[in-house]
Amino acid sequence: MPRAHLMTPHRRFTGGEGVIEVDGATVGAMIAELDRRFPGLGEMLTKGASAAVDGLIHAEPEYLAVDPDADVYFVAPLTGG
Amino acid sequence: MTVTEDRPSYKWVGTRPIRHDGYDKVVGKARFAADLNLPGQLHAAILRSPHGHARILSIDTSTAEAMPGVKAVVTAADFPALDVGNPEHDVAMNLMARDVVLYVGHALAAVAASTRAEAQAAAAAIEVEYELLPVVLSLDESMADGAPLVNDDNRTAFSGSDEPSNLATVTPLERGDVDGAFEAADLIVEREFDTAWVHQGYIEPHACVVDVGADGKADIWASSQGHFRVRSQTAAVLGWDTARVKVTPAEIGGGFGGKTTIYLEPVAARLSEKSGRPVKITMSRDEVLRATGPAPASKARIRIAATNDGELTAIDGWIGYAVGCTNDMAGFIGAMSVASYRFPNLKLEAVAALTNTPKSAAYRAPSAPQAAFAIESVIDEIAQLLEMDPIDLRLKNAVVEGDPTAMGSPHPRIGFVECLEAIRDSDHYRSPVPEGTARGVGSGFWFNIGEQSSATVNLNEDGTATVITGSPDIGGSRASMALMAAEELGIDVYRITPVVADTESVGFTDVTEGSRATFATGMAVVNACRELIDQLKTRAATILGVEADAVDWVDGAAVAEDKDPLPLADITAKAKSTGGPLTVTASLNAGGAGPSFAVHCCDVAVDEETGQVTVLRYTTAQDAGTAIHPSYVEGQMQGGTAQGIGWALNEEYVYDDDGTMLNASFLDYRVPVASDLPMIETIIVEVPNPAHPYGVRGVGETGIVPPMATIANAVSRATGARLTSLPMSPPKVLAVLDDR
Repeated sequence: MPRAHLMTPHRRFTGGEGVIEVDGATVGAMIAELDRRFPGLGEMLTKGASAAVDGLIHAEPEYLAVDPDADVYFVAPLTGG
Repeated sequence: MTVTEDRPSYKWVGTRPIRHDGYDKVVGKARFAADLNLPGQLHAAILRSPHGHARILSIDTSTAEAMPGVKAVVTAADFPALDVGNPEHDVAMNLMARDVVLYVGHALAAVAASTRAEAQAAAAAIEVEYELLPVVLSLDESMADGAPLVNDDNRTAFSGSDEPSNLATVTPLERGDVDGAFEAADLIVEREFDTAWVHQGYIEPHACVVDVGADGKADIWASSQGHFRVRSQTAAVLGWDTARVKVTPAEIGGGFGGKTTIYLEPVAARLSEKSGRPVKITMSRDEVLRATGPAPASKARIRIAATNDGELTAIDGWIGYAVGCTNDMAGFIGAMSVASYRFPNLKLEAVAALTNTPKSAAYRAPSAPQAAFAIESVIDEIAQLLEMDPIDLRLKNAVVEGDPTAMGSPHPRIGFVECLEAIRDSDHYRSPVPEGTARGVGSGFWFNIGEQSSATVNLNEDGTATVITGSPDIGGSRASMALMAAEELGIDVYRITPVVADTESVGFTDVTEGSRATFATGMAVVNACRELIDQLKTRAATILGVEADAVDWVDGAAVAEDKDPLPLADITAKAKSTGGPLTVTASLNAGGAGPSFAVHCCDVAVDEETGQVTVLRYTTAQDAGTAIHPSYVEGQMQGGTAQGIGWALNEEYVYDDDGTMLNASFLDYRVPVASDLPMIETIIVEVPNPAHPYGVRGVGETGIVPPMATIANAVSRATGARLTSLPMSPPKVLAVLDDR
């Protein structure tokens, strides 16, 4: 099952848990399941995060496929100048 | 000088051709937004608030409307009121104040007239009644208990609270056992730091020309870092469909993050719509400084624990950003910028708070320079106390592939160690420190981003090519696109014409920020070229009478066994008879942007009578991944450094108690000029980014992260006293010298 790695600001929804196994074939499906288990977390992960999968950071990764043993890191929505 | 790691050799990538747009820029033919004039064009002037915070009781434009030459006047009443939740609400509010002005310089009304002088006179004749409100100008004031609200519309992002607040974001980051690490530490250094508001200082002020036709469509010519964003923001602010807006990118005279948003275009569009004439708006330097986004001022408290052999075991810190009058993600991003060292134990909180000052904007690597100034200064002090070489200390703790970022995700392949080694082995660092000077070292990092890009590559009938993209050329990207296309197609780079097209002539492309253009747009160009090569091989197979899979593409020609090579031009000449024009468009949302690290070294002299700091020698090493056009990589490294030297030594917004900027000109807001700077020596480090076909990382932002700490570390070693406040202007340096 894929593992979601949450940043500190996300963990207030999970009682402090930073790594959560969550089913989902895409990042979006993982977010939906996380939001079902931890109401409110989904909005923050959708609006306030990008995702790093296999070491690559993706913006708006809703439909990005994830392997069953993937580690998905939810990271800051990076911008730049 | 270039240090290359594991990089293939290329024919075109890595060469230094004269940029395709170079001649026009050298002889003055390149057209910037203010250069354009249309028949019947009007000129607009904007009335701006003289107060730092006030309620607008009334605006009377009747006198202005009756003045000579005046054709149209607009206020916020001429624009739809966007909901607070609308993504462009803050942009609209900043373009034209509605009910409340939030800073000195906030736009209140605009006038279009036959001449600029007439427009300015009429704008000055607009009568506004205000009710003055408390002005909040600093982080401390903003975050104090019972502080007046800066902006009633602001809510703290992701807090779950619907209460108005001066806090934009509060971002904690934690890992490990920080308290235990500090208890076990051999050495602890703690310092507080502050930095001032600084402007990007682009030479070209914001400008646009807008012509709304009888069909209601707006033609916009504007200087920006992303004309598709100009289109979307303009349409949103006006309440229009995107298809009503066409934006043609003018050449850009510098942006550095400051031209990633809009200030003028919807105002000019509404004036044009009301008057039936094209409208031009050009900001003065005073307006640029008073009304466009500076980088946030900051305060920081950083505490780092170390062992006697130089292992950095924990960091505990707080950094706050004063972000101006609307919500900004500076604090959220700033918290992430602590990523250069392993720090097994980490506890940071980054806060962004509102002030009655202009809405802040990105400045190269947004929020990272302020954080790096603090952290790299403390690390330097640890090196001094441990009597360690500052590069050896950094090498001992530097992150490598697999180490966690501050966000927790593991770093991909990165080149921080290679940059440290490049400076350590440089002529500069190996040379003795000259008599009467001191040497400083600092480092920095930026993530870089990918995002959406499009490219169309057309092969012409004579074998030349046109590469069309939607990324404004703010740092030599036309040349980089042409070089990558030349490498792929195997033709001379001067047989390729790179074009930056308008919003109706190329696919959607995100704004040029995050050092993304050469990475992401370049990837779109490469993808388009590779698909074209597949088509060329198929056409060649038809011409040669062989199977398509029997054809290879080698050095610009189709090659098949027992056949003479068929050059690209011979295939394009037969395009009509083999299937029609050869053209491909590629679009993508690029993932895998490669982080870029830099290490800087400088020698300074401090005049103990005047407090003036002179930078005598400066060397920068930066990981570019692969330098597609090394001259423009070096230019970005030197440019970022020059701006960082200004940030370190001279630049700051000076406000009076009412929030009026007292130094709103380049005479008083002093950016470095050539005579202030040594030749900045560059070492390009190339640790290719595995996620890009040529290994590109992007280079535009990292260069501004290390200079402030690098110079502060040198000045501190020169004076024997730690400099913790920017800018290190002569009065501040003298005060530190007096306190020794």
